[in-house]
Amino acid sequence: MLSAVNPAARALGLSLGQSHADACAIVPTLTTAPAEPERDREALLRLALWAERFSPAVAVETSDPGYEGLTLDMTGGAHLFGGEGALVQEIERRLAAAGIPARAAMADTPAAAWALARFGDDRLAPEDRAREALKSLPVQALRVSDNALRLLHRFGLRRIGDLYALPRAGLARRFRGEEGMELVRRLDQALGIEAEPLEPVRPQPLYRVWRAFAEPIIDMEGVAWALPDLVQALSAQLDRDGKGARRLVLTAFRVDGRTTGIEARLSSPVSTPTHLLRLLKERGLERLDLGFGADALMLSAHRTEAAQARQADFDGGQVQGGRDDLAALIDRLSARLGDGAVLRPTLRDSHIPERSEAWSPAGPDPEPQTPGTSAAGPRPLFLLDPPEPIQTLAGMPDSPPAQFSWRRVTRRIARAEGPERLSPEWWRAPVPDLSAEEAAVPETDAGKAQAKAALILEVSEAREREDAGVTRDYYRVEDEHGRRYWLFRQGLYDHGAPERMPSWWLHGVFA
Amino acid sequence: MAFDATSYNNFPSPLEGKGRMPASCLGLEEATAAEPRDWGAAGAFALWRAGAAHDPRPLALVTVKAWRGERGGFSARGLKGLGIDPAGVIQVRAEKEAEALWALEEALKSGAVRGGIATVEQASLVATRRLDFAAREGRATGVLLRVLGSGDLSAARLRWRLKAEPSAPHPFDPRAPGAVRLTAELTRRRDGPLGAWELEQDHETHRLGLAAGLADHGLVQGRQAHAA
Repeated sequence: MLSAVNPAARALGLSLGQSHADACAIVPTLTTAPAEPERDREALLRLALWAERFSPAVAVETSDPGYEGLTLDMTGGAHLFGGEGALVQEIERRLAAAGIPARAAMADTPAAAWALARFGDDRLAPEDRAREALKSLPVQALRVSDNALRLLHRFGLRRIGDLYALPRAGLARRFRGEEGMELVRRLDQALGIEAEPLEPVRPQPLYRVWRAFAEPIIDMEGVAWALPDLVQALSAQLDRDGKGARRLVLTAFRVDGRTTGIEARLSSPVSTPTHLLRLLKERGLERLDLGFGADALMLSAHRTEAAQARQADFDGGQVQGGRDDLAALIDRLSARLGDGAVLRPTLRDSHIPERSEAWSPAGPDPEPQTPGTSAAGPRPLFLLDPPEPIQTLAGMPDSPPAQFSWRRVTRRIARAEGPERLSPEWWRAPVPDLSAEEAAVPETDAGKAQAKAALILEVSEAREREDAGVTRDYYRVEDEHGRRYWLFRQGLYDHGAPERMPSWWLHGVFA
Repeated sequence: MAFDATSYNNFPSPLEGKGRMPASCLGLEEATAAEPRDWGAAGAFALWRAGAAHDPRPLALVTVKAWRGERGGFSARGLKGLGIDPAGVIQVRAEKEAEALWALEEALKSGAVRGGIATVEQASLVATRRLDFAAREGRATGVLLRVLGSGDLSAARLRWRLKAEPSAPHPFDPRAPGAVRLTAELTRRRDGPLGAWELEQDHETHRLGLAAGLADHGLVQGRQAHAA
């Protein structure tokens, strides 16, 4: 089955949906290639990203097989390219240079542009002249279903112009419900009576600046040279609205129809050109893979917030400046080391050591602290994550160990304090529902015993997996040299189950 | 050596004024553990040196992945226990030592932090000189926390050697460890005498101070300074 046909084949009478055998019979010298719809879609998407150099709103049209393409919303932007005619020519020229033969057309409505690009000779439908331009196009250009198309042909309606004269209510009635409605809708969309929204491939940034270059930029120095200009322009746009950027994207449009970009995030909204420039440079301009060259650069701010009004105070001036300096520092460090590299702590309301504090990506302001449980004992300066196993010589049941070995070095304990018992947070760990499990136990005795054994094993394994579900007794110990450690015993000595001996671990080191 | 007047108050010195401990300078210091197992003491001392409490700017802790895996990461509650407000701490987790050195330099230079600590083992003379310069530029104190001490050249203005000591007697429980004690030995100093001091954590303010209750007011007599 043919899924795409080029103009030459079309001229010879081949059409979509024809079987391969038929097509070969009609044209013996036919060249075919297996269809790869996924790759075609990807290629179209990449091309859509490239087309963003002309407009921020680019939609991909894949609803009609064989007639795929892109729709660009050039509202208010055509003058930047020297007029509508020049724009159409430039698009075709650039695509041809990249090895992609294409037909471009421009009109008032997306539907009219679609029709002209695929079926029309004129590439441009001047303002308010869509009716005239569409008149001579075949009805397929309206994107109606096959049934409707057949009906239209049967009625002798082959050109769009034929439809103009007919009363619309009559059309809808004649074509029995849905198809009729669709036909009328498509006609209205083409003539601009009904709106047809576009779904852009990427959400449009509110602030973007771009520059095209006569000679393509082939290396980083070129980008670094052009960047200050872009940053200045974007900063001016942001300042005009009193906003600061939180997410910056630098996109380079390559000559071969692809795009490449880098992204930087900011911890607080900023519009200062020097800060933005430095951040992009820190992010690494070498990450841009320019290929054979880039002939346009675009800088866009994808997330903006109202920038704090900066005012020089009398004595608080330094603190204010300090906050900006801190934000700039955090951004620089994050740009080079990664988003999760710069962290600030929050104390949490939990007595389990792993949960009692959290480190999260930093902002220039300190994290809001919830009033934590301060009744806990002294905590070590360094916490090992995860805790390391140790071997101990301890008295039972509750006394601290007399010595312990960690990393194959035995240390004798001179002094110890504890235990500090940290029970699992029963309100967090779900306990397996034993009654429901028992209901599924089979009838036979052997089967019952087996199932029960399996159940016990499962429950105990689940318990062991949930480390937080086991009581820990923490000891603060000091060895003979004065080094202080935080040890814990996981589990309690259980005389009834001697096979479950508790284990000892080292969790931290004190000053 | 620049004398930072604001941090002077943190150093209660013996009344005689003999062998006063040098105050935190604006520049680079080094805190090395006397033995690898003394990293806890070295860490606490580095924190003490890196930031004067009166400075509202935050403190930067730069850690390297290998170091964290070996010895653990800083704990916010542990910092609180040493008198450092966790809200004023920023941790930078670096993968390699070179990144950590760069991060420390950036932090010190920016003037946005009051001090920075980095857990790097290998720092060349050039790197330490840059750090010292950056610290002075940003009016901050930088401290390199080293555990495998080596005697190589460094541009740090003060080089300390830390050792954990058996703690003070606990007021209520004779078997429990009491206040944290450690010995800080000044092994290299550009201008001024060397010395060694025994420090103890005050359980009220949680800050390190010269050990009270010792006959010699905390000055360690008769200990030879190890080879600088």
